[in-house]
Amino acid sequence: MADEHWRSLMMAAQAGETSAYRRLLVEVGSWLNAYYSRRLPPGMADDAAQEALLTLHAKRHTYDPSKPFGPWLAAIARYKWIDRLRAMKGAAMEELSDALAVRDCAEAAQSARSLEALLSRLKPAQANAIRLVKLEGLSIREAADKLGQTVSLVKVNIHRGLKQLSELAQEEGHEI
Amino acid sequence: MRYDTLIDRLTEDLRPVRHRRFWVDMVIMALISAVELGLLFAVGIAHLSMHRMATQPTLWWRLASLGLISLVSGALAIRSFDPAYSPRGALRWLALIVAICVAFGLLMGGAPGGLAGIARRLDWTSGVQCAYKIVLLSVPPLIGLALLGRRGAPTDLRRTPLLIGLAAAAWGAFAFVFACPFNDPLYIIVWYGAGCALVMALARFILPRFARW
Repeated sequence: MADEHWRSLMMAAQAGETSAYRRLLVEVGSWLNAYYSRRLPPGMADDAAQEALLTLHAKRHTYDPSKPFGPWLAAIARYKWIDRLRAMKGAAMEELSDALAVRDCAEAAQSARSLEALLSRLKPAQANAIRLVKLEGLSIREAADKLGQTVSLVKVNIHRGLKQLSELAQEEGHEI
Repeated sequence: MRYDTLIDRLTEDLRPVRHRRFWVDMVIMALISAVELGLLFAVGIAHLSMHRMATQPTLWWRLASLGLISLVSGALAIRSFDPAYSPRGALRWLALIVAICVAFGLLMGGAPGGLAGIARRLDWTSGVQCAYKIVLLSVPPLIGLALLGRRGAPTDLRRTPLLIGLAAAAWGAFAFVFACPFNDPLYIIVWYGAGCALVMALARFILPRFARW
């Protein structure tokens, strides 16, 4: 993160200078894309980065130019990331669309590694249910057959697992 | 939306902003609190026996403890509206301050004197009234802090509402000291504590929905 450079751009943006602001948004946008690509499934990273840019715009008055820019931006990015995880929890019973299937590329592998690290901290039954239904795209019924569990137990495991995943992410976020 | 389109839109929407300042928010809260206290005195709610109680150290213990807790927690709540500030560590120090204030009160209050003595000292019918009035007096600073929080960008939506609740409750209790005829530390700790706990619980469960951004 080019902290001093972004700090000066943000100060100019707070004063209303559009060229500095455009440059800041482009550079910060790339950083946000990389940030979310490591933490979210590929289909969600772009949306999350755009949402974070909108938030940066709405909350730009909360940046104090006497302080470094990096921690401020990282705090906003982390907050929006946790929001995304919460939203994933809310959509626990929805089927994954084909668009969310994991692509075979380096970006996808990176995201999968981050998710795997979080999943490994859940109970195996919860992690397996989330892997099968949310990542591999199986239906609840198929996952239940594969895991030898009832349909309702798979649903409960996914719901509780996503809830815990969100809490773990939040805890981790505040310790960073 | 395409990335370039979003950046164009945001750039077009750019206006100069005045960034948040800690001291401005503190002054706003001090004004809200001062107006509330002034109104209490103006409508004559201050208790008639206040001059008599002024000679008792427990009155000063109440004012000093609640004033300190309110000031520190209010300042920390306002700091936590900065997205890069985590109030986690500060809350521990605040808990220590509260514990020291309570310990002082218990030392001043003397021995409880058995169950019957405790029941008499607690006077629960008046106590419930006191707790209720503290909750009411906490509302103006609670709303003020919540609005300031909404303008800011708090990232810890568990601890920031707790700080807001504690600051507002401690201020409500501070203002109520001038209208409360009771001066027994045990009574104060239990019933003022109950009022403050209720305000904190309300803040903890209601404000996160309001403060989300």
